[in-house]
Amino acid sequence: MELLPVLVLNGLVWGLIVALIALGLSIIFGLLDFINVAHGDFFMLGAVLAWMLIDTTGNFWIAFAIVPAIGLLAGGLIERGVLRPIENSASLSIVASFGLSLILQEGVRATYGATPKRILDPIGVTFPVFGLQYEVYRLFAAAVSIIAIAGFFLFLHRTKLGTWMRAVRQDRETAIALGVPSDRIFMVTFGLGMAMAMLGGVVAAPLTSVEFRLGLDVLPLCFIAVIIGGLGNLPGTAAAAVLLSVMEGFITSFAEPTTARIISLIFMSVVLLARPQGLFTRVPA
Amino acid sequence: MIGRRWQPFDKQAWRGALVLAACALLAPLLLVDYQLIFAAEILIWGLFALSFALVYGFGGMLSFAQALFFGAGCYGFNVATFKYSLGTWGAIASGLAAAVLFAIPAGFIATRVRQHHFLIVTVILSVLVSAVLASGHWRWIAGPYVTRSLAFVPEVALGPWRFSFGSELFSFYFTAGVVGLAVWLASLVTSSPFGKALRAIRDNEDRAALIGLDVNFLRWMMFVFAAAIAGISGTLYVLLARYSNLEFFDWTYSGKAVVATIVGGASSLAGPFAGMAFYLLSSEYLSRYFQQFAILFGLLLLIVVRFAPDGLYVTAARLAREAFARLAAGASAGERR
Repeated sequence: MELLPVLVLNGLVWGLIVALIALGLSIIFGLLDFINVAHGDFFMLGAVLAWMLIDTTGNFWIAFAIVPAIGLLAGGLIERGVLRPIENSASLSIVASFGLSLILQEGVRATYGATPKRILDPIGVTFPVFGLQYEVYRLFAAAVSIIAIAGFFLFLHRTKLGTWMRAVRQDRETAIALGVPSDRIFMVTFGLGMAMAMLGGVVAAPLTSVEFRLGLDVLPLCFIAVIIGGLGNLPGTAAAAVLLSVMEGFITSFAEPTTARIISLIFMSVVLLARPQGLFTRVPA
Repeated sequence: MIGRRWQPFDKQAWRGALVLAACALLAPLLLVDYQLIFAAEILIWGLFALSFALVYGFGGMLSFAQALFFGAGCYGFNVATFKYSLGTWGAIASGLAAAVLFAIPAGFIATRVRQHHFLIVTVILSVLVSAVLASGHWRWIAGPYVTRSLAFVPEVALGPWRFSFGSELFSFYFTAGVVGLAVWLASLVTSSPFGKALRAIRDNEDRAALIGLDVNFLRWMMFVFAAAIAGISGTLYVLLARYSNLEFFDWTYSGKAVVATIVGGASSLAGPFAGMAFYLLSSEYLSRYFQQFAILFGLLLLIVVRFAPDGLYVTAARLAREAFARLAAGASAGERR
């Protein structure tokens, strides 16, 4: 029980990272109207690229600049080249994203290898809290996630591109009629979603072991957050991700991690059946 | 078509059955023992892919839960074999029952939600079951029945005779026979009024509901039927390979069925088999030169989705039919002249 505060704190940190990734999933769903099954692998790719950057340059911090930029670019290209031609069939888009997931996983396995690797704590400073040595990097990870999430919402509400994105999400036809370049918006959206997942990967890389299957654990978590928060409801998704991880951290203090995961899965099923629009979405009267 | 009565035994079905039976009879003459086993494996995984085609191609439900029912088939087989020492037939029935019993509640939950939610629910269900089976706390469910090898050569009684699965020839024929029966059943179901109602729901749910179809119930029943098909393929796999594994339950394992079905063609019964044969044969040969051959399947999936969304087999069959018709038309025009 004395571990409780630490586990809850860990849950909070992890929840903020998941919130970042799940927001990417949610924004892609909101605009392109399909579930991106490869989203977990975008996260994995971010972590793997971070490892590779350290391996080649010896510097972890440049990953924060380079990896999201790669994600933005690659995401735009994927939207244009792969998803655009099949945009009017949601199930074909999902199948295509499964194809992407295969390519990413096996591509990483072929180049990076199948063995999990670890990244050393890049700050390497701990401070005593609740009788334990706590890594400063975890707090840094939380701060980066918060800044990225806040920046994302600022972008969405304070810039022209962000306003256009919201417009296309609300009413595509009208937005196009009013001259919003929806094609470009779709590219930017997918790129942004991929960049957020990959940034999440960079942030999380020193906290887990990096391997090609990393995305498979994260994807269900994002799904749960997206369902509980409401499909396409961005603030709800972020809140649900944090809430869930804190809850799992809390449960882990007296039960097994699997039990915690199962409880959150059951929680999600109940939400799905009772309130399919999510906990935080108001139903229009 | 409108107003025609349902005819389960039409000419086309007989023709297809005859061609397949001829193939099965010829196979042992052309293939050596290990190839026969490989052919049987293709049939089993093809049946697994068919279960995905039934929910997706015929029912419009993109399910990543088919591996769960494949796994449930293995699990049911193992429970019957190791706990109750039932014979092979009892074990097959038990595997089928496990898949169906599990699909009834799972399908009830999943078919109440639509599209994206449905996909997510099937993934989450798979993650949930895998987590329960992998965790040490639910040993009384998982028991020693999830990851298990058969330490003996199974035998099966057919009338007064007993056959052993030690014989490759018998293994092949038994598998082919059961798969054939299952496909026949699937063709009955998909061509029945029930199958037609489901296609109506797939194409336009609102209209289907308006003409009085109980949409959720019909989707649920198709989900359970497809699960039964996946369960049978699971039991056949245990019989053939004599082992089962926790990873059979994993949702990414369903991906195998998704890839094969989409590549082959989701809205036909032969498509999933063609796709799976292509998948397994090429991975068998590609993996000798290139370990991560699945990349190529990812690329192929993207290409098929883009250029031949009906699947390679279905598209090729259509093109062949069209070319044949054009040829026939040209020939008759030539005669007239």
